[in-house]
Amino acid sequence: MSKLWDTWKTGFATWEATTAQYLEKVMSTPAVLQPAATMMTAVMKTKAKADRAMTSWWALWGLSTRSDQERSLHKLNQLESKILDLQEVISQLSQPSRPSGPSTRK
Amino acid sequence: MNQPVKKPGPLESLTALLSRAARRVEPVVGQTPHEVVWRENKWKLMRFAPAVPKYRTPILLVPSLINRWYVLDLGRGRSLIEWLVAQGHVVYCIDWGTPGDEDRYLTWDDIGGSYVGRAVRLAARETGKTHVLGYCLGGTIATAYVASHPEGVASLLALAAPIDFDRAGIMALWTRTPGFELGPLVDAFGNVPWRLMQASFKMLRPTLPATKAVSLLDRAWDDEFLESFMASEKWGNDNISFPGACYAQYIQELYRENRLVHGTFSVLGKPAKLSAITCPVLAIAFVHDNIVPVDAARPLIDLVGSRDKQLVVENGGHVGAVISRKAVTRLWPAMSTFWAQRD
Repeated sequence: MSKLWDTWKTGFATWEATTAQYLEKVMSTPAVLQPAATMMTAVMKTKAKADRAMTSWWALWGLSTRSDQERSLHKLNQLESKILDLQEVISQLSQPSRPSGPSTRK
Repeated sequence: MNQPVKKPGPLESLTALLSRAARRVEPVVGQTPHEVVWRENKWKLMRFAPAVPKYRTPILLVPSLINRWYVLDLGRGRSLIEWLVAQGHVVYCIDWGTPGDEDRYLTWDDIGGSYVGRAVRLAARETGKTHVLGYCLGGTIATAYVASHPEGVASLLALAAPIDFDRAGIMALWTRTPGFELGPLVDAFGNVPWRLMQASFKMLRPTLPATKAVSLLDRAWDDEFLESFMASEKWGNDNISFPGACYAQYIQELYRENRLVHGTFSVLGKPAKLSAITCPVLAIAFVHDNIVPVDAARPLIDLVGSRDKQLVVENGGHVGAVISRKAVTRLWPAMSTFWAQRD
């Protein structure tokens, strides 16, 4: 059994190496890459259009859209980072002898 | 007379696999003791320290943005972090966390500038300097940061890090294919889903699942192998979506325009010229790495301004070479020695 298995494995390794090399060549050709890219882009454009339509409809009612909320949250996160930057500068100014760096924030 | 010892085979492996499935054992990863020293937005910085550090300068690990950090702490005996701490190094590691929908607006400057900068300053807080290791995309992020903000960096180790995107193999071909448009992709998803990225990585070696199945059948009877296999599979299927704005910049400015090599990339408004890196640099690449070919990693050494620089090319693949049993005897000691000699 063991010998049979070892022989099979050797055969598999040879097949795998050859096939992988062949597939890599095939995948790298423009004939495969270009249609795949075009198709993916088309699907993405359709999804983005559908999302935009939904957002516009939602906004018609004066409601905050998903994108509005994402932007606001992002701005809040940016604001937090700016405050942390300021704290770092203030702490450095108050302790100029220490190597620069924020104190811990767990 | 002694009977020859029968080598276990596929039947024993199948038994071991079934027994493990019945016990529903989950691999334990990311278990090296640490404290979280910083949290900001979704990322955090962890500190791993020996009881008595042997080396003065700490090491900051910057993992890939799209993979979990615990590939560097993949369980007892397979953990680079655990091993480094045992050698006496103080280690800091970034955990990027999971981006929320609002993080689609995060740019390279936010992640590779503000966040990495804060991590460098935190790690260097005690001693004034820190070694920086970047793995995979983390290596590109770390390199761009060090090129633009060299302060506080004692050395740079780029582990399987893509630098020259003209030589980045099939991924470069794919992202440069006419018809592949970034705008609609980011518009449609916000953060680029990890499943989409994983599919493109699988495209790099479509026969990989079959190879994994055969190696499981061949070796699953070995508990240590099985544990390691399960841990790396858990990691391989636990990825992170790429913040949209940062992804668009990464593909456009690096994959398509190769700005890091041409010296036209910038971080937080400062030019990231590789020639401006003057600290000691070690680049490590792997012969069978089909994600980051050696040719994509090598140019770092040609282009940095450092006098103390070295390229090491090891056998193995992108992940296997970093977490395998062989890594404990060759790769990890080489890395530790690099830092120890520049402490």
